[in-house]
Amino acid sequence: MSASPQIPQGAGSALGSSVGAPTRSQTKDGGSSNLGTFGVKSGLAQMLKGGVIMDVINADQARIAEEAGACAVMALERVPADIRAQGGVARMSDPHMIKEIVEAVTIPVMAKVRIGHFVEAQILQSIGIDYIDESEVLTPADEEHHINKHSFKVPFVCGARNLGEALRRISEGAAFIRTKGEAGTGNVVEAVRHQRAVSSEIRRVSVMGEDELYAYAKDIQAPFHLLKETARLKRLPVVNFAAGGVATPADAALMMQLGSDGVFVGSGIFLSGDPAKRARAIVQAVTHYNNPKILAEISENIGAAMVGLSIDADLKGGHMADRGW
Amino acid sequence: MQDRAVTRVVIGILALQGAFAEHQDMLQKVSGREKIDVVQVRTPEDLARCDALIIPGGESTTIALLARLSGLTEPLKEFVRTKVIWGTCAGAILLSQSVTNAKKGGQELLGGVSVRIARNGWGSQVESFEAPLQVHGLRDSNVPFTGVFIRAPVILSLQATPSEPAIQVISRVPANLVPQCIVEDGPDQAVVALRQGRHLLTTFHPELTDDNRFHEYFVRECVVPSISS
Repeated sequence: MSASPQIPQGAGSALGSSVGAPTRSQTKDGGSSNLGTFGVKSGLAQMLKGGVIMDVINADQARIAEEAGACAVMALERVPADIRAQGGVARMSDPHMIKEIVEAVTIPVMAKVRIGHFVEAQILQSIGIDYIDESEVLTPADEEHHINKHSFKVPFVCGARNLGEALRRISEGAAFIRTKGEAGTGNVVEAVRHQRAVSSEIRRVSVMGEDELYAYAKDIQAPFHLLKETARLKRLPVVNFAAGGVATPADAALMMQLGSDGVFVGSGIFLSGDPAKRARAIVQAVTHYNNPKILAEISENIGAAMVGLSIDADLKGGHMADRGW
Repeated sequence: MQDRAVTRVVIGILALQGAFAEHQDMLQKVSGREKIDVVQVRTPEDLARCDALIIPGGESTTIALLARLSGLTEPLKEFVRTKVIWGTCAGAILLSQSVTNAKKGGQELLGGVSVRIARNGWGSQVESFEAPLQVHGLRDSNVPFTGVFIRAPVILSLQATPSEPAIQVISRVPANLVPQCIVEDGPDQAVVALRQGRHLLTTFHPELTDDNRFHEYFVRECVVPSISS
């Protein structure tokens, strides 16, 4: 048994294969390949960087998103604002609806499963979805365990409010992390809180000695080897997007300037006055996030933003960010 | 230029969407006699400073739209005609002459390399893979280069006409890795890296490895000869 710690390896380090991602070797005629390595899982997230991933509920919306420049779409039955308003148990979407969306577009298609619901994940993997979001926006299926994501070929993205939560998810096999801003509120304040928390914790650990890292790892309930790797890299070892509450091009650029690699937009597009226009403006804002002159131009005349909610104890649908352990 | 002067080159990386930071890190690790300045290109003004350009992996539909909205499409087409470009994955799609599996209604390409290409040729993400490649002309070329193929395109055919620069294939995957759903007649579908004139095209991602031999190759074989000529 190897005692070496498991550090997520980038692509090209398949020989190390220390994260235990499943591989399949083809040896016929001497050509070999490894499917579903951590390298190709985290690699797809790297290809999405600088892009916008949009929530869509049918093939028509998916086409609008693709035409507006989305780098991927998230297929789901109800956008988070509607889940919040309507209540009830929110589950994985009908595979038929997801397949229609896969047929309609050429960009990657993601879909959500409930926290801990590994059978929903098996179903999505079998229909060839490109990425799975183990999401707090759906009703959790397990209040103790997340999915063991190493045992899947399909990659996973998970939400995190702070560094400890992010590293716990990565140790379970997540190849992509996002903030857990309050979905369906059109209020970016929680996503900002999470992005700032992760960045400031990384700044702190980057100057710690090894003895301090041991103590800090225990403190934030993170695996030591992942914390050490994060301190060395001075960033999370996987791609990190903003999600939850992004409603305007300025919100998207704010998250990028705070250090996000890209942005998820949920209810903010298709519950706004002019989805196609707003989607395209947010896509441009993520590219030109450091250029206020361009941001001003693209923010003009894009119709009404979604209605926003303030995040307090009475928030209808509750605080979704508290789901996840 | 004096004989012993250090050559300065400006290499741009199209930074509209995708894995541009990874290319930048790799280029900064290339050591040679040249002094390489790396520029992230988001506007026509950025592009005007560049001797050569890398179009990174990402989503080709997104990159093409952002290029159009940023006023870069025509300057990029002009750049393709006169300067050196390397396209990886989505970048390879944008440099190709025609594309199948395009989004509904078709998608915009820059052209410049005489190949026909299929997007997502291997299928969805669960078919993404890594495979060791033999590449002609790399330093230590007996050591395989890890090819990282992520929802990668497949080159369907090479179609250079006699009046165009010849295409030089520099790497193929073993025939058994060519996706069954694609196989047409002919050997071209195994090609994963090639050169034509000033341009380099790879359907995989050298920027996602720790191995900078491909970036070194690009600088040595494509960029430096073009600026000294």
